[in-house]
Amino acid sequence: MNLSLLARHPTLFSVLCGTLAVSSSLSIGLGQLKNLSDISWLDVLGEGSLGLLSIVWVFFLLISRPPGKVTSALVIGLCCFLFSASLDFFDEFLTYQDVATGLSMIESIPAAIGMLIMSYALYQWHQEQLVLNQQLRRREHDLRQHDQIDYITKLYGADYMRGQIHNKLTAPPHSDFSIVMLDIDNFDQFNRKFGHAEGDRLLRQISELIIMNLRSSDLACRYAGDRFVLLLPNTSQTLALELAEQVRQAIFHLAYKPDQHPQAIYHNLTFAIDSVRPGDTTDNIIDRVNRNLDASKQLLYPSEVAL
Amino acid sequence: MKVSANTFLCLEDKYIPAHQLAASLVDYAVSRGVNIHKLLRGTRIFSEDLKSNKKISLGQLLQLLSNVRTLTPGYDCAFQIGRRLFPSNYGAVSNALLHSRDFAQALKILGLLRMQICPFFDSTSYQTSQRQYLLINPALGCHTQVQFLSEIYCSALISATKLLFGQRIPMYFSFPFQKPKYIQEYEGNLGYRLSFSQPMFSISFEKKWLTTPCLQRSDGLRRYAIKQAQMHNIPKQGFLQAVRSEINKDRQASLDNIARQFSISPATFKRKLKLHNTHFKQLQDELGKQQATYLLQIQQFSNEQSAHLMQFNDIPNFRRSVKRWTGLTPSQLRLIE
Repeated sequence: MNLSLLARHPTLFSVLCGTLAVSSSLSIGLGQLKNLSDISWLDVLGEGSLGLLSIVWVFFLLISRPPGKVTSALVIGLCCFLFSASLDFFDEFLTYQDVATGLSMIESIPAAIGMLIMSYALYQWHQEQLVLNQQLRRREHDLRQHDQIDYITKLYGADYMRGQIHNKLTAPPHSDFSIVMLDIDNFDQFNRKFGHAEGDRLLRQISELIIMNLRSSDLACRYAGDRFVLLLPNTSQTLALELAEQVRQAIFHLAYKPDQHPQAIYHNLTFAIDSVRPGDTTDNIIDRVNRNLDASKQLLYPSEVAL
Repeated sequence: MKVSANTFLCLEDKYIPAHQLAASLVDYAVSRGVNIHKLLRGTRIFSEDLKSNKKISLGQLLQLLSNVRTLTPGYDCAFQIGRRLFPSNYGAVSNALLHSRDFAQALKILGLLRMQICPFFDSTSYQTSQRQYLLINPALGCHTQVQFLSEIYCSALISATKLLFGQRIPMYFSFPFQKPKYIQEYEGNLGYRLSFSQPMFSISFEKKWLTTPCLQRSDGLRRYAIKQAQMHNIPKQGFLQAVRSEINKDRQASLDNIARQFSISPATFKRKLKLHNTHFKQLQDELGKQQATYLLQIQQFSNEQSAHLMQFNDIPNFRRSVKRWTGLTPSQLRLIE
């Protein structure tokens, strides 16, 4: 589990600890212990698990979200809820004298306030998600599957692309689309010369550049190794050629500077394009484009590919 | 003739320098964000060992490989490791290969120094009039990881030939396992000549490639490197390979007979086989399957000829055995090619 975000929430962490401290000191300070026979263990279990699970929820919020308005609202809301839940929990063990009866009367109010804050926070979260979806355009279409995201480039992998092509082929409003496969030239040589860490960094930068050059309806995925695949909906082959050429130009002008190497290295890429044909299946479109690409590579760099 | 105990290696023999494959595996997995402590769990390897000259066993290496496989994200893990395998940290072995004369000689050297660079598989080469075949066997009870290991070593082979000869040699791969979902990695790293669910694991290519010259050929440097690599004095075969070659000598031999050849009791022999994740019957059957496939499918021999070569006395018995080993009758097997 990656806990690196936890250290960035010192305030929210103290809010959590403070909530627990206040609720426990209030109850223990004002109450007296019940007889063992008076304790209803079923209630202890029920209310205890409410409290415990809200602590777990706060913990997951803290380790998964960077600091910000939405995170604070979510955590504070949950803490209010936790305050009530823990008072309820301590109730099961303690009886209060007359002075403190007020405490049990008002104990549910923080929970209500907490729920209100949480509702506000969830609305904000919804807004935030819409903005993030915008950011993810061209990296993601209508489906989110985080386990299919490639570690190096943070693009989706080949599985995701296959799924998307399949959807396009089977979805009722049958629309034309083009597929572009592109492959960086002499990437192996680059890896050998500068090391694989540099190769990974180059792949990351190239994937950024590809994304930047696409329209918002397009999708880019990493296919395998240094091969990327683009899905261009409602695009004719001529237009696809133009788009792919723009991507190629962009990468051709990328002055990549390896670490401790004074000179910039330039890259080129080879691509192949095909459009959907009647009766196509996912596999044979991909296979066709792949073979086209290998044929062109074979022509340009005979030693790299063996057909 | 008796098999002496110092002519083969077992899973628990510590002879592999930790700074070679183990270090590259750890480097790769760490670069993919895997926690090094989780990676080394259960392997009895410590992170300091990776920088030292400490020796580890193949068993430890297999445990590490299985950790790498389960912890590293992405389908390309094995292929990336394979691409980095050669020349890497292998010193003299890599030099010997780099300076060989041509592909044929490089293969010969690979056979000679195999235990140092590719200890998990052993290969037997066969030729037909057109093609050179390498039949691959797991040499040391790594049956459960055959797919992962073959991905590593096949992509290493492709990337090494590219480096050695400056061109890609077209190779045909037949794998004993099913076609995987992530076929793009196979195609990207190994090419399109792939077949899956085959009765045996083999690599083949046209014979004309055997004479492809090496870019860095140097006879003097090569001889020196081989000499240096052989100073380690490591047995040339794994335990299972040694057992296989004994079974091969006499196909009807029983477990007791073979155990006697190894000068150990049948019980110890059984235990040892179990340690290598196999048993005697399984080895016998695998060998039968392989030989039958080779004779009938690759060489297209007749039933009589094949049965004779495999030391069978009657044809019906041979047909039954082939059917049991491969699921196909001899004539069906012949048609596949």
